[in-house]
Amino acid sequence: MKVRDILQSSDFHLISNESGLDKETKGIFSSDLLSHVMGVAGEDNILITVLNNINVLGVASLLDFSCVIFPHNVKVNESIIDKANELEIALISTKLSTAKAVLRLYELGVQD
Amino acid sequence: MEQYSKEFTIQRNDIGNAGTVSSLTKRELKKKGLSREFVKTVTIGVYEAEINVVIHSYGGTALLEITDDFVQITFKDTGPGIENIENAMTAGFSTASSYAIENGFGAGMGLPNIKAVSNEMDLTSSKAGTVLRIRFNICSDCYES
Repeated sequence: MKVRDILQSSDFHLISNESGLDKETKGIFSSDLLSHVMGVAGEDNILITVLNNINVLGVASLLDFSCVIFPHNVKVNESIIDKANELEIALISTKLSTAKAVLRLYELGVQD
Repeated sequence: MEQYSKEFTIQRNDIGNAGTVSSLTKRELKKKGLSREFVKTVTIGVYEAEINVVIHSYGGTALLEITDDFVQITFKDTGPGIENIENAMTAGFSTASSYAIENGFGAGMGLPNIKAVSNEMDLTSSKAGTVLRIRFNICSDCYES
């Protein structure tokens, strides 16, 4: 499943450009503690986090995450979006809670 | 033997640039043809150590050395030192500032994560500063097949 397939659901909105949409996704990881993310998450994971600072992109890039989803309509500033475009990491926003976003992704087919 | 080395300066609380040392390490290791898994392992260790210097110290340096046999990174800072290394090595123990926590750090997992991923780790600390050396051995299986 590719990142662009997530966007077929109207619950998820792309807030970066389209440069990262063809990456394959494998599994979902959610945490708001970056050390926890570093230690446990796997490559190609979708990261769901309310953290909206530049370090999220640092970790996403280092660990080769497929994309980052911000739940609860968390606001993301332009400098973060610009950096994500540079790194070709898709940023996706949703009004859903973290738990509901995970369930929705599961329904969409992100299941391992 | 081929050898690469580069020294970096790390500024206190410069969270926006944290990740520079680990990004460059990742790039160099990929250039060498090392596997994604190996590169990830090293990257985790280097990033955690880099963040530690940023959020806990007055600033310092990182020396990256890559040979055919190992990747070694030595972090040196100018204080204030780790009061109790045993506590610092305990998963979940943290003395991080609210600034670090707001930025997603300070879970108390940094040093335990580094120990878990590296082959060698030496940590010495006094009020004058902390030195952390981590080494990852490169074996024949560490290359992309």
